[in-house]
Amino acid sequence: MKFWLILGALTGLLLAGPVHAQESGIPVGSRAPAVQVNDLNGHPVSLSSYIGKKPVFLEFWATWCELCEQLLPKVRQAVAQYGNQVEFLGVNVTVNQTPAKVQRYLDKNKPGFQTLYDDQGSSIRAYQVPSTSYVVIVDRTGKVVYTGTGGTQNFDTVLRRVTRG
Amino acid sequence: MRLSRTMISLATSLVIGVPVLAAQGNEGKVKAVLQSGPDVGRRAPDFSLPWASKDSVGPIESPYQLASDRGKTVVIAFYPRDFTQSSTAEMRTLAQQYDSLAGPDVVLVAISTDSVSTHRRFAQSLNLPFRLLSDPDQRISKQYASKDPNGYNRRTVYVVGSDGRVAFRNLQFNALDPKDYAELRNAVKNSLRPS
Repeated sequence: MKFWLILGALTGLLLAGPVHAQESGIPVGSRAPAVQVNDLNGHPVSLSSYIGKKPVFLEFWATWCELCEQLLPKVRQAVAQYGNQVEFLGVNVTVNQTPAKVQRYLDKNKPGFQTLYDDQGSSIRAYQVPSTSYVVIVDRTGKVVYTGTGGTQNFDTVLRRVTRG
Repeated sequence: MRLSRTMISLATSLVIGVPVLAAQGNEGKVKAVLQSGPDVGRRAPDFSLPWASKDSVGPIESPYQLASDRGKTVVIAFYPRDFTQSSTAEMRTLAQQYDSLAGPDVVLVAISTDSVSTHRRFAQSLNLPFRLLSDPDQRISKQYASKDPNGYNRRTVYVVGSDGRVAFRNLQFNALDPKDYAELRNAVKNSLRPS
């Protein structure tokens, strides 16, 4: 029995090979990193101001991201519905962006979230952001309860759950 | 009992097989490189691949060959696929930083599994100032530890110095992380410094 357990573990290691967890995102169930990210004016904002205190919705986005654009109506709707209970943060990934370009986009499209500008990449690394349109939802205890990408993802059920009680 | 020991020994040698082979001579070394890619200080395996740029598809008889750029610094960027969001972001950023990355003594090439005709359209759409190389069977990406089991490349970067040795590599390059681009720029700068 012991032998088969050892063999299984070793074979698992072998099959795992040299492939790294690239472009996979932060695991659901893990603790959300309370890193510091700049806002559009270069002022530092610590995510610890929100994480562990109330539910947090993070979207990693860019003005050139078509999927983010596709997701925008859902984000606006979520902000309207849960904005008084959930902190909505839109973290701009800053690649091919300038603060001015981002501000113009915000003025025109009004997503409704508080915008952060991660020019140091600290949250991108901490949340292992695989692509733009990446959404992470953190419950009020600071645990990651949802991650997803794409323009058609559905996070309404999760938001309803984290705002209950 | 004897069977168990034999099996455990067999499984263990499978797991640690690469280093064992590496200790046995050249054949082992080649296998180790295939597993982990050439590390910093190691000779970058030469390769020859068809290419396309924004202006043309390279002639079949003159593929891009790494060895032909010996004496220059070569940046090799492996990426998953043309026209995907993250790859577009990466290529666009490399193009924007091209002036600070490249120069007369620096060559930048990017490699994916896409065909040269797709590369041409992709390069044209982004006005890329560098060549895109086509490695459809991932022969080269495998040598450089950039092959993903899903059939696309993993996102990695290598800087090959003028001596043909790897000066820098990032096997987990994130197209969205400004720090990764900054490290790449520094690595290119450092590779140009006289030793």
